[in-house]
Amino acid sequence: MAEIVIDGIPYSFEGKPKLLDFILSKNKDVPFFCYHPSMSAPANCRMCMVKVGQYVKNRETGDYELDDQGERRIRWFPKLQTSCNMDMMDDMIVHTHETDDLVKRAHKDTLEMILINHPLDCPICDQAGECPLQIQTYKYGPEGSRFEVKKQHKPKHVQLGPRVTLDAERCINCTRCTRFTDEISQSHQLTITRRGDKNHPTTAPGTVFDDPYSMNTIDLCPVGALTSTDFRFKARVWEMNQTPGLDITNGKGVNVDLWTRDNVVLRITPRHNPHVNEYWMTDKGRDAIHLYNEQRLSTPAIRLHPNDSSLVMTSWDNAYQTTQEIVESTDTKQILVLGSPYASVEENGAWMQFSESILKQSPSYTTHIEKESGDDFLLVDDQAPNTYGCELLGLKKRTKAAFKKAVAEAKVILSLHDDYIERGWLSEEEIKGKTWIYFGTNHTQMAKAATLTIPITCAVEHTASYVNVDQRIQRTYPAKETKYTNRRLDLEMSEGRLDRFGTKFDHWVNEDHKVDCKPLWEIVGDLSLLWGHTLSYRHGRDVLDALASNIPALEGVTYQAMDDQRGILLTSSETQEASS
Amino acid sequence: MSDWTTYEPVLIPNIAGLDRLETYRKHGGYDALHAVLHDQNTWPDPASVVQEVKEANIRGRGGAGFNAGLKWSFMPPVDGGPRYLACNGDESEPGTFKDRKIFEYNPFLFIEGATIAAYAMSITSIYVYIRGEYRSWIHKMEKAVSDAYDAGLLGQNILGSDFSVDLVLHSGAGAYICGEETSLLESLEGKRGYPRVKPPFPAQRGLWGRPTTINNIETLSNVPGVIRNGADWFKSIGAESHPGPILYGISGHVNRPGVYELPSGMPVMTLIEEVAQGMRNGKKLKAIIPGGSSTPILPAKDLEDLTMDADALRGAGSMMGTAGMVVMDEDTDIVETLWRISKFYHHESCGQCTPCREGTGWLEKILEKVVTGQGTTRDLDLLLDITSQMEGRTICALADAAAWPVRYTISRFRDEFEARCKPSLIPVG
Repeated sequence: MAEIVIDGIPYSFEGKPKLLDFILSKNKDVPFFCYHPSMSAPANCRMCMVKVGQYVKNRETGDYELDDQGERRIRWFPKLQTSCNMDMMDDMIVHTHETDDLVKRAHKDTLEMILINHPLDCPICDQAGECPLQIQTYKYGPEGSRFEVKKQHKPKHVQLGPRVTLDAERCINCTRCTRFTDEISQSHQLTITRRGDKNHPTTAPGTVFDDPYSMNTIDLCPVGALTSTDFRFKARVWEMNQTPGLDITNGKGVNVDLWTRDNVVLRITPRHNPHVNEYWMTDKGRDAIHLYNEQRLSTPAIRLHPNDSSLVMTSWDNAYQTTQEIVESTDTKQILVLGSPYASVEENGAWMQFSESILKQSPSYTTHIEKESGDDFLLVDDQAPNTYGCELLGLKKRTKAAFKKAVAEAKVILSLHDDYIERGWLSEEEIKGKTWIYFGTNHTQMAKAATLTIPITCAVEHTASYVNVDQRIQRTYPAKETKYTNRRLDLEMSEGRLDRFGTKFDHWVNEDHKVDCKPLWEIVGDLSLLWGHTLSYRHGRDVLDALASNIPALEGVTYQAMDDQRGILLTSSETQEASS
Repeated sequence: MSDWTTYEPVLIPNIAGLDRLETYRKHGGYDALHAVLHDQNTWPDPASVVQEVKEANIRGRGGAGFNAGLKWSFMPPVDGGPRYLACNGDESEPGTFKDRKIFEYNPFLFIEGATIAAYAMSITSIYVYIRGEYRSWIHKMEKAVSDAYDAGLLGQNILGSDFSVDLVLHSGAGAYICGEETSLLESLEGKRGYPRVKPPFPAQRGLWGRPTTINNIETLSNVPGVIRNGADWFKSIGAESHPGPILYGISGHVNRPGVYELPSGMPVMTLIEEVAQGMRNGKKLKAIIPGGSSTPILPAKDLEDLTMDADALRGAGSMMGTAGMVVMDEDTDIVETLWRISKFYHHESCGQCTPCREGTGWLEKILEKVVTGQGTTRDLDLLLDITSQMEGRTICALADAAAWPVRYTISRFRDEFEARCKPSLIPVG
């Protein structure tokens, strides 16, 4: 066991950790910009300086040499060292800025240097509020600048690719973005161009930065040099609520943060989970904001006459009663119930119970696996977030042919989420004359062709869990209010300053952004009452608890356990290895 | 050093047509390589060559002055994989123009030296990195290398032995930073010339992650002489702590500027007054920059009795550098000189590390202010403060190279700077 003394406190360590990693792991602060735990350390920002020395040992006896006061003699490194690329050694003595004025001075000096050509346009910069440069300047920087000459000008608002915009003047040349494309996404699309204080990242001439992971560079950028073309100038970070969630655009189950203001999801950023996605997410996953905000089904709608071209709004009561009438007037053998891998475990579970107890059948589902569409990083072949969840609940999997046959034989169809028309599995002709009750979130082609649409909450409006391709079950939190939920009453929802202090006279408080929809488990609970059943689920937790006591694979699965363990792996590692 | 007039040059001797292989061989060329490869009694193994070179104490001529043989001995044991020798002929330090004389007048001496070094370290490929602006010397070297290949002096089974090595010429693209040894490696690999973090040192992980030694052209050109005449012969030339012949590149306000091969430790005044035949137009000497623009400037009053070797120059507050001496007469505007030097380092900073990327530009801009009469005395203190923010805080030594001229020129010629500045009472703090 080797020993190291940091700011007078001894620590023991094993192996050869890097000094900065170790100091940070001890909850001590050392400022840095270019270092990132999952990439190489180029040591180019020169920010994480520390003073390093080693106890001197007598070469022959191996004893520590002592000075006049009887203290161990220390041989200091002649220069300050960057801690990010410093291998820890036995008997090392480290002084950080907390105990050494020279280190403190070095931090101040480096920040002064970084800031001389920085435009200092924090008031109009998207990064302000979550900017490492801003934060560290307040903590370690000089009080003012002695730079009284002309700043270096560099290109501004350069469209590097379809989703990333560069402001080269803000760039501090940490090379995190270029290292990301070299080491993580391996598209090698970015490089630094020009020399000295003129340098900045760029793509090769004639190419664009269209890496499917390009927007991770925006999160990595420690300043506002790389910004999201979509999110630019949309909101200040302190106006938004940050809610943990999941990426539901494919089966990987990437952990994300949902940034909302006034119940609109403005951006999605990756949330660190070492078991799933580390620090990264796909660009496609960030596009899901459109799915959550736009073209939402709100309020049930009904087609009054089979030949009507559109549906009209109706009340929830009427929608329920119409459903009851349709179901009761049809032989259950002619009813088809379809679950969906786009819906959560709880939704499919409640759906299955409703179906089994009232419609006397198990729902079936179809998978969305597109072979060869994934890579070996975060894009996977499975396009739906909960295929394993459906399998786990025992929903019947149908092939395209079996699905088409079942639809052809049915008179009444109750379906969840999936847009079979858009997918090309059904044409509008094929469902003419059938009664299709669609439980969905968005105005899909299926919703337009349906007889009755019942709006359900989407992944950012309820608490629910999803099982990813690696059979890890993870949960979401409600980030957006619906007409029937309230941030102040639902303790799982985050509440930002505007939510707390905004009024209806503010620009920021807008009832229009709340969708008139309900969680599926509430809807099936209300529906079952009409048949005299009581499937009383008020929360996803109720459904999960019921499922956990019935399904062996879900034994012991609770939201608390998912939070604690960053998701729960449902199969033991041995069986997983055997299957792979 | 009274016998410099009788000194017989060995690096660029006065022999016509030495750049032709047959002439070079007629004058003893390739004897050293032949001996190393075939004389089993004197040179039983490659390690004996390393030992002899180490003994000779050839201090690196590129500026750092590190014992070349010692550097060679850092190469790890042979493991069957490729090993490289990178020869630094980037010669980008302003005031330096010595290696091109070797390319021009004695290319085979260097090629022989590099081949011996390759043998001593079991190198499989030699890369020669030549300054891109040296177009005509690159052509000359291309011819020399192809002649050496044709004569079996490079390539497979050199001189009938079982030793084989390839030599590749690589032309730079005009970046000062690519003369720094690790960014030279990056450049050779086809990457952007960013210096690497050390450790790992090139001997452990150099070109393409393999053991690599980097030597200056002039350093390697001294190797055949050491092999032929022995380490003691080499050590008998010039200053004791920094022995051997040196190519002094004298430029500036002297009557006969040029490259002169003379023993190390030459008195500076002898070099100026006798070798370069005195100051131009009979002007008075004001200062010299002893070894390329990054070495601290020395005023004339410090030059009496000063000799050109690493220890004496360090004692005087400067460095040996590349021995490219810039001589300035009394009419020289020191302020403007410094501005020009700073402009160079600003232009050439690679931009990797913060203090150098930002500091070099800041230095230049303040000096521009001073030169144009806009400066204040506070600016001078600020300049000194900035240099202390740059020195020793970066990956490579370019920040130091940019900071030293500013620091030492201001501290040694402060009155001239102050004469150009308005007074200021605001502390720089």
